[in-house]
Amino acid sequence: MTDTTEPDDLLAALRALVGTEGPPTTPRHPVDETLVAHWCDAMGDDHPVYVDPDAAAASVHGGLVAPPATLDIWDRGGLKHARSADSPRGRALALLEAAGFTSVVAVNSELELRRYVRPGELLSNVEILDAVSEEKATGLGVGHFVTTRHRYSTADGEHVGDLLFRVLKFKPGTGRPAPGPGEGAPPPPDPDPALRPRPAINLDNEFFWEGARRHELRIQQCRGCQALHNPPTPRCPDCGSFDQGWIVASGRGHLYSFAVPRYPQVRGFRYPVLVGLVELEEGARLVSNVVGVTREQLSVGMPLEVCWLDSHPAQVEGETDARGPITLPQFRPATPPRREATLAAADVAEGDALPLFAVPVTTTLIVAGALATRDFTDVHHDRDAAVRAGSPDVFMNINTTLGLTERYVTDWAGPDAVVRALRVRLGAPNHPGDILAFSGSVQSVDPATGAVVVALQGANGLGAHVTGTVELTLPTASTPTQEASR
Amino acid sequence: MTAHAYAGRTAIAGIGATEFSKRSGRSELRLALEACVAALDDAGVAPEQVSGLSTFTMDTNPESDVMRSLGIKELTHFSRVHFGGGAPCGTVQLAAMAVHEGVADYVLCYRAFNERSGHRFGTGVQDRVPGHTAEEVAYAWTSPFGLLTPASWIAMFATRMMHEFGVTSEDFGRVAVADRRHAATNPRAWFYEQPITLEDHQNSRWIVEPLHLLDCCQETDGGQAILVTSLERARDLRRPPVVIEGAAQGMAEDQQMMRSFFRDEITGLPEMGVCARQIWETSGLGPDDVQTAVVYDHFTPFVLPQLEEFGFCARGEAKDFIADGNIELGGRLPVNTHGGQLGEGYLHGMNGIAEGVRQVRGTSVNQVDGAEHVLVTGGTGVPTSALLLGAA
Ligand SMILES: [Zn+2]
Repeated sequence: MTDTTEPDDLLAALRALVGTEGPPTTPRHPVDETLVAHWCDAMGDDHPVYVDPDAAAASVHGGLVAPPATLDIWDRGGLKHARSADSPRGRALALLEAAGFTSVVAVNSELELRRYVRPGELLSNVEILDAVSEEKATGLGVGHFVTTRHRYSTADGEHVGDLLFRVLKFKPGTGRPAPGPGEGAPPPPDPDPALRPRPAINLDNEFFWEGARRHELRIQQCRGCQALHNPPTPRCPDCGSFDQGWIVASGRGHLYSFAVPRYPQVRGFRYPVLVGLVELEEGARLVSNVVGVTREQLSVGMPLEVCWLDSHPAQVEGETDARGPITLPQFRPATPPRREATLAAADVAEGDALPLFAVPVTTTLIVAGALATRDFTDVHHDRDAAVRAGSPDVFMNINTTLGLTERYVTDWAGPDAVVRALRVRLGAPNHPGDILAFSGSVQSVDPATGAVVVALQGANGLGAHVTGTVELTLPTASTPTQEASR
Repeated sequence: MTAHAYAGRTAIAGIGATEFSKRSGRSELRLALEACVAALDDAGVAPEQVSGLSTFTMDTNPESDVMRSLGIKELTHFSRVHFGGGAPCGTVQLAAMAVHEGVADYVLCYRAFNERSGHRFGTGVQDRVPGHTAEEVAYAWTSPFGLLTPASWIAMFATRMMHEFGVTSEDFGRVAVADRRHAATNPRAWFYEQPITLEDHQNSRWIVEPLHLLDCCQETDGGQAILVTSLERARDLRRPPVVIEGAAQGMAEDQQMMRSFFRDEITGLPEMGVCARQIWETSGLGPDDVQTAVVYDHFTPFVLPQLEEFGFCARGEAKDFIADGNIELGGRLPVNTHGGQLGEGYLHGMNGIAEGVRQVRGTSVNQVDGAEHVLVTGGTGVPTSALLLGAA
């Protein structure tokens, strides 16, 4: 194909497609309990109504249901399925590819649910091309936004939900360069953690660093009197014993104090650095970094849990570093527990903050999330393909972001909260090694109907990954919760 | 009850300093020698009479070089105190003990460096090679996490103070404002005629939150020397003697070098409390007997718990003591009348001892009426030291 199409001709051809409707999709499989279980595992969602028939029977749903964020995955074609020639979006994307707009990212997904769907139901959707934007210069590249609307129905024609979906189809390599430092300002130091000062290790503290390599948080414990000592010491000041062992701490604790270095800036860190003095639940304290939070989210007393930064490789510039690899303990906000007793609308007020929720972004999460949402696009599982497409590594698909968003809000609201809508907008991509940090607050609440809107953000090291809203119905005093579902 | 035998029987007979600058243009050894010569001139003592030298382990000027260049024929006492800025009053204590024991007649205490134009402490410890000693290993618990400078270590304590006692950045700022107001009338001060407002403090850039730039002491090139001898000898010298009424070093349980983060409480300075107990027990005096104080101010937050450890106010109440104007000239306890290390210069606390001497002599540019007993403290966050000086 050629990319010499005149822009005006291209836009005219694209606009001609707007309003066209495709035929209903032909689903190959019904909503499936096994895939729901895979999805729950990938998202870390322990909501019982998706996997536990007894709990589901006792819930507002009266039986097993599929997570609402999965509405648009069931009629996908799968690995071997080519793009449908009948799809209006498919036709628009083909035109754009022919014109050189070969890369694609999803930017908006807005799901509205009339009801939850159940295992065994066969879903299909009818797609309408809603809009094609003019050519836009974006951070990723020059491209067009393509918006479709999808109406989801069961085999017997019941309309169960709608999706608004928007992608950016862009020319790789045409993005705006990242804003540089100000005129005359020194460049920021290289943030590669391998450039951080290495810890000095000797016979008295090597157990700690050996543990760190195994992702164990070891705290010295006296074998004479069981007292914990951090930093470690060869002799117990309490009982006098030289016989010192260690325990593996749970990794749970809270922020006892913090400092935020901004000057001078040295290699190996991103500034401002969030340094915490962490008090473990076992009692010992240690200095570490607080990750997955912004400066504004730091507060003395906040619950934390350990995570690990494999900071210094065993090999440095091709030579094996005799000092060995180094792993540093880090602390992120403690994963909020899933609420067992559902919040009532009367318990919620506008402005209430949801707890912070920091998700480590791993290759496993990205790949498992993509496959659990039946998204076989190569950039979500094949690093080489992602690099060829101009990305430093694989990145998370929008359905995984949507799934984590749903888990964040339903874990906070409780098992009988009913999701009515999930609307997200994506920004900075989620690559392995990053942390996706959710925060949110209640935007509105209607005590009469139980309708609650939660506004949320998910930030990573590159910026805002996701912003969005989730609409829920919470139990009210006047409406029995069984009503909420059907 | 502890009573140090040298207390009340030893004295400071002379003080001497170089100018305090950002670029001395001279070697650190030369700065040390100029300060020593000035202190000897102040007292009217000849270099040959000196038989003892005391300084900091961090000082780069060996006693052998100082001795040679001063033309001293014999030394019978030479000693050093460790732990950086915690040392100043400790060197005077060692000198006083040596004099009282008859080991030396005149002991010069000195500290000199090009801390601005040469090695700057504020740049941090990121370039330290990780070795195997206990001192090096201690950095393993902080450096890999980006806590690399004195300001960053102090900031950790400051945040906790703010949390527990409701101390604010403005409370820290009031210390800086008082220091700079005092410096503004001190021609020796780097910030002579340059007072600041609380607004200036609040608007100054972050160094390490919660510390602003104006919470941090200067970086200074200079030298300061203090001449110690017996009270009896001092009576016959050029200046009226300033009596060492008490001198103390202090370390407390679970002490770490500026990083005592692992104690049950981190909002106090128990090592300064160890000094305070000795000073009051030795002198038989108490906070009500003290008219002015030189309180170590490398960073403003630790001025607060020092006032509490010495009993000028109750624990957690220093912020109110300061906000009520007590540390200003005309207040209950004017603090750092020379401008402190934020205003005059950062000489690892040695210039503060000189100001204590001037207050007792009645020669300070910001003289406090009836300054009979003057407290001087050493560095905070580190094992430290303190002095109580008084008129003969
Ligand atoms: Zn023990």
